[in-house]
Amino acid sequence: MYALAIFLPLVGAILAGFGGRALGDRGAQIVTSGCMLISAVLGCIILAEVGLGGNPQTVELFSWINSGAFEVNWTLRFDTLTAVMVFVVTVVSSMVHVYSIGYMSHDPHIPRFMSYLSFFTFFMLMLVTADNLLQMFFGWEGVGLCSYLLIGFWYEKPEANAAAIKAFVVNRVGDFGFALGIMGVFLMFNSISFETIFAAAPGKADATIQFLGFEAHALTTLCILLFIGAMGKSAQLGLHTWLPDAMEGPTPVSALIHAATMVTAGVFMVARLSPLFEYAPDALTLVTIVGATTCLFAATVALTQTDIKRVIAYSTCSQLGYMFFACGVSAYSAGIFHLTTHAFFKALLFLGAGSVIHAMSSEQDMRRMGGIWKMIPVTYTLMWIGSLALAGIPFFAGFYSKDLIIEAAFGANTSVGMYAFWMGIIAAILTAFYSWRLIIMTFHGESRADEKTLAHVHESPKVMLIPLLVLAVGAIFSGFVGYAYFAGDNMNAFWGDSIFVLPGTDPIAAAKQVPAWVITLPIVVAVVGIGAAYYAYMAKPDLPGLLAERFQGTYKFLLNKWYFDELYDFLFVRPAHRLGRNLWKDGDGAVIDGLGPDGVASAARYLAQKVASMQSGYVYHYAFAMLIGVAGIVTWYLVVGSGG
Amino acid sequence: MILQAISFYAFAAVTVAAAVMVISARNPVHSVLFLILAFFNAAGLFVLMGAEFIAMILVIVYVGAVAVLFLFVVMMLDINFVELRQGFLQYLPIGALVGLVLLAELVLILGSWAIAPDTASRAAAPTPAITETTNTHAIGQVLYTDYIYLFQAAGLILLIAMIGAIVLTLRSREGVKRQRISDQVGRTREESVEVRHVEPGSGV
Amino acid sequence: MITTADIYPVLPELFLAVAAMALLMYGVFRGDKSTGSCSWLAVLALIVTGVIMSLLPENAESAFRGQFVVDQFARFMKWLVLLGSALAVVMSMNYNAREQIERFEFPVLILFASLGMLLMVSANDLISLYVGLELQSLALYVIAAFRRDSTKSSEAGLKYFVLGALSSGMLLYGASMIYGFAGTTRFDALAALFTGPSADPGVGVVVGLVFLLAGLAFKVSAVPFHMWTPDVYEGAPTPVTAFFAVAPKIAAIALLVRTMVGPFGELFAQWQQIIVFISIASMLLGALAAIWQTNIKRLLAYSSIGHIGYALVGLAAGSEEGIRGIGVYMAIYLAMNVGTFCCVLSMRRQGVLAEGIDDLAGLARNHPMMAAAMAIFMFSMAGIPPLAGFFGKLYVFMAAVNEGLYVLAIIGVLTSVIGAFYYLRIVKIMYFDEPADAFDRTAGREIGAIMAVAGMFTLLFFVFPSPIVEGAGQAAAVLFASG
Repeated sequence: MYALAIFLPLVGAILAGFGGRALGDRGAQIVTSGCMLISAVLGCIILAEVGLGGNPQTVELFSWINSGAFEVNWTLRFDTLTAVMVFVVTVVSSMVHVYSIGYMSHDPHIPRFMSYLSFFTFFMLMLVTADNLLQMFFGWEGVGLCSYLLIGFWYEKPEANAAAIKAFVVNRVGDFGFALGIMGVFLMFNSISFETIFAAAPGKADATIQFLGFEAHALTTLCILLFIGAMGKSAQLGLHTWLPDAMEGPTPVSALIHAATMVTAGVFMVARLSPLFEYAPDALTLVTIVGATTCLFAATVALTQTDIKRVIAYSTCSQLGYMFFACGVSAYSAGIFHLTTHAFFKALLFLGAGSVIHAMSSEQDMRRMGGIWKMIPVTYTLMWIGSLALAGIPFFAGFYSKDLIIEAAFGANTSVGMYAFWMGIIAAILTAFYSWRLIIMTFHGESRADEKTLAHVHESPKVMLIPLLVLAVGAIFSGFVGYAYFAGDNMNAFWGDSIFVLPGTDPIAAAKQVPAWVITLPIVVAVVGIGAAYYAYMAKPDLPGLLAERFQGTYKFLLNKWYFDELYDFLFVRPAHRLGRNLWKDGDGAVIDGLGPDGVASAARYLAQKVASMQSGYVYHYAFAMLIGVAGIVTWYLVVGSGG
Repeated sequence: MILQAISFYAFAAVTVAAAVMVISARNPVHSVLFLILAFFNAAGLFVLMGAEFIAMILVIVYVGAVAVLFLFVVMMLDINFVELRQGFLQYLPIGALVGLVLLAELVLILGSWAIAPDTASRAAAPTPAITETTNTHAIGQVLYTDYIYLFQAAGLILLIAMIGAIVLTLRSREGVKRQRISDQVGRTREESVEVRHVEPGSGV
Repeated sequence: MITTADIYPVLPELFLAVAAMALLMYGVFRGDKSTGSCSWLAVLALIVTGVIMSLLPENAESAFRGQFVVDQFARFMKWLVLLGSALAVVMSMNYNAREQIERFEFPVLILFASLGMLLMVSANDLISLYVGLELQSLALYVIAAFRRDSTKSSEAGLKYFVLGALSSGMLLYGASMIYGFAGTTRFDALAALFTGPSADPGVGVVVGLVFLLAGLAFKVSAVPFHMWTPDVYEGAPTPVTAFFAVAPKIAAIALLVRTMVGPFGELFAQWQQIIVFISIASMLLGALAAIWQTNIKRLLAYSSIGHIGYALVGLAAGSEEGIRGIGVYMAIYLAMNVGTFCCVLSMRRQGVLAEGIDDLAGLARNHPMMAAAMAIFMFSMAGIPPLAGFFGKLYVFMAAVNEGLYVLAIIGVLTSVIGAFYYLRIVKIMYFDEPADAFDRTAGREIGAIMAVAGMFTLLFFVFPSPIVEGAGQAAAVLFASG
């Protein structure tokens, strides 16, 4: 059953991918969605058995690479952490599959799309069930590849291609760090199996690494390298630039990959490697700072964006920041808790946005929407639920997880913890603000769309709404239901050994003992944010324009996403182009080609002709060659000596 | 001992000379005849070593069967051997050079010929003294026991040679007359003889 | 005396011999109509032989006064040989029927050839070495000339026979010199003779060894004893070429490894130089001479010369790791070549077999699956990761580097770069040239299935290489356990 849950998506992907022509569009949809749904059911059972039943499993598939001390097996590891991830991935993915049946119904390449989606899910599951770093890397690269394919799914659009390449290249930077980290781990521990390295980690707490004459704390170095990998995948500050552009892909892709699953792989990795990170406090500090900064940064940018999907994309970026700083203050379970609830409400928001886009005839700009809430009431309601959960309004999912994170940051009682706390509070105001900005601009006020589009606005078909409803249930209840297990009374029994926190510290308990104002503050600021948005966009709609004009510098700065893209373009892209051009024209063309390939090639051709002409076809030539060979070798021995 | 030495050198010299003639004679029939001469002398060398069984086999099989078969083939085929040998002179210098180098080297090695003193004791099946038994008997004793594996394998090789010869040459031609003994024997008087009454003076 | 202890180890060979003879009788009585059933029975016989082999106990055993030995090494190589032979029989059926050379002797001869190879792999004595070799070679000479009405095929058979006889002569000459100087033909006795501080092999044994090596190098078609290969590959019927490219090569290289590592293991310093030389020469020639070929079978001949050169790198390393590399290399080589020849066998246009490389032009448009399979094999042969061929090279080169043979490894890498040129040229022709006419779709389902399986193996080897790598590892370990 365990292996089945993982491999069913692969089966679906292969059937739809290679048999797409035979199956037809409908067949491909049924096969992939069917496989995914079964897998989701299995995912629920796995969560029940492993998480609630407290019964971790490992499934050995077969041995993979065996070279000296370097031993890698294909093994599926199911502990609670994995089970939670498997549950989230399979459930969200199956919903997205079903949704895509409706959303992509007019696309000419349905089997390809469904196959990619399933293939992605398989890699994601490989990633979360990995038993060693290499297998995790396999899944890691696999989801990267699928992400590339899916962002560039509409390959006729140049922006989609550019976005796909950008996602791939930026991720490469992170993956390089990850790969270096894996090598470093092997160097240190002589193994990359989780079991072995976790067992050996306490013994290496004080080890150091020599590199180019520097002496560095080994585990800190390794953890930072691994964290760079996580930053790339989870779009943290510095390596975040690909995520907004990735919105060029179809909306279901954004919901699945760029909200619920792949981008959270980094958080998962940090939680999975908690036994390493716990012994590297400096690395944890870095994680906290990066997470908190990203959290605020992305929220500020989201204020000014006008593309509905980009707003949600920056919101994702910001929420990932929350998760990271939760891990940074050792509250891994809070991070994973937020990851789970976030998967539901953010997928809901994306798919809801997709529903809006579907209704508005592929319009994504919020400035050309408005006043449509009566026309698509179900979508409207669902967007409200998603936004309430996102803003952390009590009793919705986000309330439990986000507040827990903010309290944990405060409870950590360190200077970085306080930094993260205040960043989180400010980001919470902004989150509430941009969420309602989105709702108001999209649904309320005067409609700014043209006649033709407006006449065409319609509620989405059932096949799209039902997944939304399922996710909405998750967005409402997952926090309330999950709290007891993720962070409440059953916490220790639930997590078992899958998450490691240094003995003697308990960030969750600390989070529960914070003063009352810390608990109420996030709720208050969320309400303030909503009120501000209402005031600015509903009551006084000309206020934002005035503000933008008044603080033009700040507005431009935010609108251009803090000029990150321009900075990278100036620092890396253009110099790389220049360097590449020079190397190509002068270095490669003149020097290397002249002496290397071209020179060698012409020499090889010449020699090849000579050699081929020796093959005369006469038997006695051949026999003669053999005799000369023997005579030559014998002579060699007699003249040079027999070596021994 | 002297007699043995003289015989050895005589046989050896004739063998080598005959071998040279085999490849240098213009007339292929002469070549085959020289080959037979070489075989005879080689047989003589075997006798000198006390291996009379192999000597006899050499004469019977190689001279009696193989070489005579060669002779038939050479005489029956119309091959212009002079034409075949045209390349000979062209490659003679380099061929001779390689041959000489190899020969010199082998002589050098054989010059250092040294049989380790215990070589004979390592032999898998030591040759029994000639006074005890004939070597036909001795070979028979080991060939079907200790060397049964090699013997059987060699038998398979001959089987393959036979299959190969048949595969590559046997053709089933149409219209070939064959003797069918059972049909011949099974013929009755009624099918083969017909009695006719012929009027005198008229033909059949 | 024969005892049951002698019979058990040779049971698979015994069965194969009896099965081959029974099949011969069956064919003789049923005539050429029975070729189809004969072929399938031959495949069955090969499978049963394998099954018997796997049922026997797994320890190393010798029989017939040490003339015959079975150990993990022999088993591993025999598996490959049996697999190669069985695939060759399956691949030949459709072809032989279409070319009207359908004769029941063909599978029988392949069975005998396989028997010879099994004996070679198990040889533990200079005489059994020679007998196994001849058993195999004689059958091969005949099937090379199997299409006797074609001058090319007859020429191929005759050339192979004449040169093969010459090489056998060298081998026997070398063996007799070794016997003369050492006084024994048994491998273990020879090994014992060369071990110890006072052991002096003497120049005579070494020169004998050179001749022996020359004979064996001919069988694996290593430079400079390779000249027969292109002509025979081109002339022989294509399934025969496929067979030649696979099973005999594996058997011969197994024999070469056992002979060098076993009895002459102590003379490593002496024979290493020869192996290094012929390995470099083979790699160079394989890479260079293939560039100008226009006939795909000839190209594959040079390719196989090159591959043997790479495999010999492992022997030149002379370590357990190197021998393991050879085992892995040969297993991968088998899959790649069988697959490639399946493609070649499918190149039939209006009933006539096409053999030119240009005939592949635009294959991707007419036969996308076949082009994809062929591309996989070509990339793999060129050694491009993550395909199987890359790992084959990786293992032998790693062994060479670990033994300090840097020059050899560097030359190996350079020649594989040159070699990549002609492999990739085929891919380019298939995918980017203007399409020629489509091929007939008559190759048969078996060919397609073999092609698919070989393709999957080549493509997915990296996912679970361990069965083969571990098998080869055990095979290599047994050779070094005693010596």
